[in-house]
Amino acid sequence: MTALFVARDLCKRFGGVHALRNVDVVQRAGETLGMIGPNGSGKTSFVNAVTGELSLDSGKVDFAARDITGLRPHKVAGAGLARTFQAVRLFSRLSVRANLETAMLALGDKAHRLDAAERADVLDWLELDSRLDAEAGSLTLFEQRRLELAVRLMLRPQLIMLDEPVGGLAPGEIRAMMQILNDLKARCSIFVIEHTMRVIRELADRVIVLITGEKVADGPPVEILKNQRVIEQYLGTAHA
Amino acid sequence: MKGFLGTAVRPQLLVLLVAGVALALLVSANRFFAFVVGITMISIMWAAGMNLLTGYTGLVSLAYAGIAGISAYGTVGLVMRFGWSFWLAMPVAATGAAVVGVLLGLPSLRLKGFYFALSSLVIQTVLSLGFVYFVNLTNGDTGISQIPPPDIPLAGASFHGAAFDLLLTCAAWLSLVAAWAVTHSPFGRRLVAIREDEVLAEAIGIDVMRNKMLVFFVGSLFAGVGGALYATYVGFASPRSFDLLSSLSIWLMVAFGGRGTLMGPIIGALVLAPIPFMLQQYDTLKDVIYGALIIAVIVLMPGGVYGALLTCFRKAPAIRRRLLKHGGIVANDGSLRRS
Repeated sequence: MTALFVARDLCKRFGGVHALRNVDVVQRAGETLGMIGPNGSGKTSFVNAVTGELSLDSGKVDFAARDITGLRPHKVAGAGLARTFQAVRLFSRLSVRANLETAMLALGDKAHRLDAAERADVLDWLELDSRLDAEAGSLTLFEQRRLELAVRLMLRPQLIMLDEPVGGLAPGEIRAMMQILNDLKARCSIFVIEHTMRVIRELADRVIVLITGEKVADGPPVEILKNQRVIEQYLGTAHA
Repeated sequence: MKGFLGTAVRPQLLVLLVAGVALALLVSANRFFAFVVGITMISIMWAAGMNLLTGYTGLVSLAYAGIAGISAYGTVGLVMRFGWSFWLAMPVAATGAAVVGVLLGLPSLRLKGFYFALSSLVIQTVLSLGFVYFVNLTNGDTGISQIPPPDIPLAGASFHGAAFDLLLTCAAWLSLVAAWAVTHSPFGRRLVAIREDEVLAEAIGIDVMRNKMLVFFVGSLFAGVGGALYATYVGFASPRSFDLLSSLSIWLMVAFGGRGTLMGPIIGALVLAPIPFMLQQYDTLKDVIYGALIIAVIVLMPGGVYGALLTCFRKAPAIRRRLLKHGGIVANDGSLRRS
């Protein structure tokens, strides 16, 4: 299978702190890739760096056989790589409908746009069709997370990078979100940052472990969870 | 501009045209009142352009009057020195001023909110100094007087009296139509997205810099056309006409009337533009009133008059919906709570 997303040798320093140290990540089309690591290990920096939010010190990012290193965020989104934010980010004073329409109009090229049937399908799937006139900021967190996904799908992405998609959700909502993310696999490839091991175990085909900006492990979830170094540095000895 | 004509025939905009023409004709017998109405019309145009920047995109440009000044001096120069027709000179000068505006604004367009306002204030100050310094072009502090009114092409006559008032009314109305068309287009949607959350806007594919530059260009065109009309209407142009206080008073019209609404700039201009004429004997009092109003608007009425109206009708959804629809708000009324 061909690689959809290739990050080579990414480095980023903030003063004396290494946020990313020669990080290599390869993701095949259709694969769900997870990324775990303790707080401050550089997971969000990684997403910020590949989506153009953060400038890299060195390294190269290829996406869909195209060099996207150093492109501005809007170009990256236009290339088919969408991302969500750790804290939900919506146009909270606009209606759900306006949020979706804005995403549809963002790229300005009509060929890219979802047609009415595809839109209706997304809204129906994410159970947002009854909330279209509500102000986005007035939605529950779970609804906001779903809207965030719907907004990204308006861009017809090939890959979505999700930064802690179940963060702050109640246990029942986490289960529902897991189902949604499993269904999402049929629509695009997923790269997911998570703290919750269960989510990673159930969702990801492969997991990358980042510790102080360095990739320390890369493999199927079952193997990673047995990896001695990961257990010591991340999960803690209590887990072993 | 697709749908420009379709926009013009919208009933609420047609009502505004009829009201404007009626107002201009009604006062035309009294030259003083007619003049006040004329200046108000120019103010509506200026405020409509400022509203695109401030109300829809969240960019407070305090260099606005300076850009109007560039166009005014440019138009006057082309007409008086080179004998150009006003109708050739005005578009050239206004476009030139808008280009200069974009170039000057380029470094600051990466900034947001307060920092953008601050850097535009610096630009305005430099432009004001420029108007005084380049005496050859502007006649310095003395100003240029006896500026001829716009010619009527091919008729060998020129606009004055009621004809000029009506011209200004039509110009103000066209600027409202243009503002409506912009804010109801995909471009307008992108501007609101930038105002609401720049980072998110970029993450969903909106080219923030490009759209800011575009709206800066469009907004500066409004400033420029207004500047050219102002200089020829008053017959006089001096650095005082295009200084920081003028920028601030245009901003105040937008904020007072209601940012991000079609009606806001109209209300603001109608109320505030006549004030200097009513207080001609007490010039400093004018600035005091403006200052007090700036504070009052920010503290008491962040949504302006139109925002306050919406709050009043919070319990009457039918009226509210009408206000939202005809007021031309792209976002819901929540957009009126803060800049």
